[in-house]
Amino acid sequence: MSLRPYSSESYCEGERPEAWRDVLALLGLQPAAAATSHAGHATAVRRSSAGVTLATLSAGPQAVVAHPDAHGDHPLVLLPLEDGASLKTAAGHRIVAAGQLLLLPRASSWSVSFGRDFRAVVLSVACDAARSRTVAARLTVVQQIAPSGFGELFVRMLDAAARHLETLSDAEWTAAAQSLLDLMPTLLRQTPTTADLNAGTASKAATLQRLCQAIERRLDDPDLTPAKVAAAEGISERYLQKLFGGTGSSFTHYLRERRLQRTCADLSNPAEAHHSISEIAFRAGFNDSAHFSRAFRHRFGVSPREYRQTEAERHAATAAAAAQRGWPQQALVQLRNRPTAAAAHRTATKFPALTFCAETTPQHHHLSADASKVHWGYFSRSLAPQIEIASGDTITIETLTQHASDDPERMILGDAGAESVFHWTRDQKNVDRRGAGPIDASIYGRGAGEGFGVHICTGPVAVKDAQPGDVLEIRILDIVPRASRNPDFKGRVFGSSVAAWWGYHYKEFLAEQTAREAVTIYEIHHDGDAPYARGLYSYRWEPQIDPFGTVHATYDYPGVPVQPSSVRRRHDVLDGIRIPLRPHFGVIALAPREVDFVDSVPPAYFGGNLDNWRLGKGSTIYLPVSVPGALLSVGDPHAAQGDGELGGTAIECSMTGTFEVILHKKSEFADKPFADLSYPLIETETDWVLMGFSHPNYLAEFGAGGQSEVYATSSLDLAMKDAFRKMRRFLMTIKGLSEDEAIALMSVAVDFGVTQVVDGNWGVHAILSKRVFTDARR
Amino acid sequence: MKHHLLPVSPKTVHWGYFSKVVAPALTLKSGDRATIETLTHHAGDDYERMIEGDPGAESVFKWTREHKAVARRGAGPTEGPFIRGSGEGVGVHLLTGPVAIEGAEPGDVLEVRILDVKPRPACKACHAGKCFGSNIAANWGFHYHDLIEEPKPREVITIFELDTSGEPFARAVYNYVWTPQTDPDGIVHPTIDYPGVPVDHRTIIKRENILSNVKVPARLHFGTMGLAPSEDDFVSSIPPSYTGGNIDDWRVGKGAKMYYPVAVPGAFFSVGDPHAAQGDSELGGTAIETSLTGDFEFVLHKKNDLGGTPLEGLTHPMLETPDAWSVYGFTYPNYLAELGANAQLEIANHSSLDRAMRDAFRKMRRFLMTVHKLSEDEAISLMSVGADFGVTQVVDANWGVHGTIRKNVFRCD
Repeated sequence: MSLRPYSSESYCEGERPEAWRDVLALLGLQPAAAATSHAGHATAVRRSSAGVTLATLSAGPQAVVAHPDAHGDHPLVLLPLEDGASLKTAAGHRIVAAGQLLLLPRASSWSVSFGRDFRAVVLSVACDAARSRTVAARLTVVQQIAPSGFGELFVRMLDAAARHLETLSDAEWTAAAQSLLDLMPTLLRQTPTTADLNAGTASKAATLQRLCQAIERRLDDPDLTPAKVAAAEGISERYLQKLFGGTGSSFTHYLRERRLQRTCADLSNPAEAHHSISEIAFRAGFNDSAHFSRAFRHRFGVSPREYRQTEAERHAATAAAAAQRGWPQQALVQLRNRPTAAAAHRTATKFPALTFCAETTPQHHHLSADASKVHWGYFSRSLAPQIEIASGDTITIETLTQHASDDPERMILGDAGAESVFHWTRDQKNVDRRGAGPIDASIYGRGAGEGFGVHICTGPVAVKDAQPGDVLEIRILDIVPRASRNPDFKGRVFGSSVAAWWGYHYKEFLAEQTAREAVTIYEIHHDGDAPYARGLYSYRWEPQIDPFGTVHATYDYPGVPVQPSSVRRRHDVLDGIRIPLRPHFGVIALAPREVDFVDSVPPAYFGGNLDNWRLGKGSTIYLPVSVPGALLSVGDPHAAQGDGELGGTAIECSMTGTFEVILHKKSEFADKPFADLSYPLIETETDWVLMGFSHPNYLAEFGAGGQSEVYATSSLDLAMKDAFRKMRRFLMTIKGLSEDEAIALMSVAVDFGVTQVVDGNWGVHAILSKRVFTDARR
Repeated sequence: MKHHLLPVSPKTVHWGYFSKVVAPALTLKSGDRATIETLTHHAGDDYERMIEGDPGAESVFKWTREHKAVARRGAGPTEGPFIRGSGEGVGVHLLTGPVAIEGAEPGDVLEVRILDVKPRPACKACHAGKCFGSNIAANWGFHYHDLIEEPKPREVITIFELDTSGEPFARAVYNYVWTPQTDPDGIVHPTIDYPGVPVDHRTIIKRENILSNVKVPARLHFGTMGLAPSEDDFVSSIPPSYTGGNIDDWRVGKGAKMYYPVAVPGAFFSVGDPHAAQGDSELGGTAIETSLTGDFEFVLHKKNDLGGTPLEGLTHPMLETPDAWSVYGFTYPNYLAELGANAQLEIANHSSLDRAMRDAFRKMRRFLMTVHKLSEDEAISLMSVGADFGVTQVVDANWGVHGTIRKNVFRCD
């Protein structure tokens, strides 16, 4: 087996730099500064065959150079996949865009640095692998190859091979590795597009590049002239014209082409659908619509209107075919284009003015559920906290299920808090944003936030003094269901479970062969020794028209009130069946650090939609703090759920929890069970429960594509691997076992189970009984 | 009702395979009981503690240059020259049986009740009365290609002692890294690739004081129990399948009832792979492998009597405990039929929990719809909120996910 996966999750923090150094060394790389190596989240998959090693790397900002012990005629091949990199050689700095190949001779001096979280593919060929082949002239300087012609062919093949590294059979992989090796000599004969780093041409190219960027920034200026650009960049107009002339074009021609390309991109972008064609034209510097239409037709052969129409149809077709939750792949460009979107959302005062008692006696707080106290369907580091509490305080948090609208009469009516959150009429929608999607619903048109994330979360609660690197301990002291406040049902408790389109069963129905969504309303009997739920009635989802007039053919947007007259209720459902209760909160989250709006559906290192029923009364969860104040949110209350959460939801039932919140400062927990925590850790009276995911930190691992990619690539096999690595690390770091002891113990005493297969990022948990350790502290 | 006794001997065991063509070691009637001895195939990891002085174990493990008491080990070729040995280790478990059930026919269901399970104490004077087991972090383990400490890769054997004086538990005695072993026929085994090779303790380095503060709660059970499949004459004992086999669920212990669809006349039940403790997933490749003796009761359910019972439409192994029902999902529910002529080797290339989960879902849905007469919508809702799916094992080529539903869910009122 030639496949070697690496995940920083296997290692405690102190060991990561060394482990990462090993990963780089096997590729002929090392950290640029001898003393430093990357200690943050990183994953790598590498596979070798007869001296050819291919690897995908995903890690945080860092710089790498050639490893001094790496020899060979073949240069290293490096392909940045996102965001590009910065290349430094004796001749100066250069930006390498994503998708451009770098050929890095092992003997020459260079360094490649990644300014942000990055993903890259590296191909390394050892001398002996290439010996039998004719090698082109030895490469002595770094070359950059643009993705066109043969370069593109190579890039695509490299990218595809890297993507399937884990799934190719040994025979398939060997063939792929040999083909890459065969293509290398031809690649090495390629003429680099941007000239080599010879002084004269290089500076010309750099200036031209700068001019192009200046034009790009000012495309909206209808009166952009060569003189203006030249002045801004500090060169003469004549020199500018000469530089453009040297490319076989002219300034005017170039500018016009760029303007047209910009409109073309915007017209095909669903995120721009709410802008009129003339607005788009105007933004690209066309101040005359008729002129623009003519120019566009002349250039592309269709009118702007026709072009937009065909593109929209194409998008609709692919979106329907994808049928996955979360951001669709092609709309992700919006996330990249709007880095400052959240800034506008950020409230002026970061923390509300609170009179905070300096005394150390723990305080009790109460956070009720109403429209002003919840955020719906997303986590965000930029939300203003509802309240600030101190470590050791207790807080009662009311939470509402987003499924209350499945039977508004029983679960909303008469309940002032729920009515306030769910209030949605033609003129007023109290909680407008539901999900991390665009607020203008420009992707699918479902509604603000697009339902990319569905849970009503109460909070966030800021914890005084919490800083990234700390750990927040949240003890669940009590969970009480929220009874109906409708006089007709007073005191009774109801919940809803939806076998939804995102359920595990959805693609293979038996009966009637038609895909359908079914809602089952349960009544919760929570008194007595053996509390249970019973099915009350069920109905098939029928297209619902929300108060704004949007039709929801499937359960694609949360909180759409179901009109009782629009569905057919079937009683006598689940006759004679009682489901034992397991009250818990599906969502307990701290705000993630990576982006401003994070879909609430996929769980990850920050907690979130864990959907583990062991997180009930009497249990404790430890979560790593990622942002100042920690920003704790709670929601998605469940009355009962099975391991797997197969149909897509639990018995979703509004509940109120009481929590004790304890902050552990990074400097003070060296020998605690939660030292070295980079994942959610659950403690119950009898067990430690570690949460593994398909992608433990999908936001970092996939970069900008994370919120879409995580839905497409979830697998229990990956989640099992993550749970294994985390349990091994826990046993080695926290319990002081050797690797051999840890693996023996895992085989004979640790239970692995399926947490959920419906939340995008699938989960497998590992349960370690505390009674295994005879000297167990606490 | 008659009570039978089936001790271990070279005549009452078959090693590494299920087979419909092996002569039964015992024939009994539905309703009969039997005490059946089983041996762990890992006893050779510490001959002194697990074989020496035990006449039954010594007779089965006997292997000198001149005489190998049980020659065939595995479903592989029995004609030389061998790479690893006769049977080639294509299947590794020492199984006692087969037990034939009078009147059993394909389409029937055999119920096997486990009335009691007892460990088999050591006989050699210095260890007499104590019980030992062996755990191997083996080359087929889930961890094997993802090790972080050197040397990579490596196989590690940990010897445990079982304490049954109170609440039973196991403690580690020592461990060692596998070194190439030369078997009595002169074949060198660089890794653990053939069962029953006696480990020469002069070639290994014992490390003591390991897992020093750890007590592993005992879960006595049989890893491998099942019936002969109809597809092939010799079927590797490693991948579990529709007639049971190497399911490796620790819940298959005292008080449990297993149900198996009968595939061949006489059913041909075999049992082995005894375990003192195992976690869900059996991550490193094995449990604490310990010789055990079980008391069993056999009940044959005829094809025509299955309607209206929990066994209606059963085409796969199913577990009943006092509290719950479990169905077993596999990567391939019947890999012998699905993967063609080379299935027994091919299955190892397809291991996946994702497929096993899908199979467990389908089996649980079928159980709820057929046995409990739920509609599909009801079954899916109930599975979401009341059924638990867990990882049975990720080391037996045909990986397993079990689906469990508690019996108190069905309490009617």
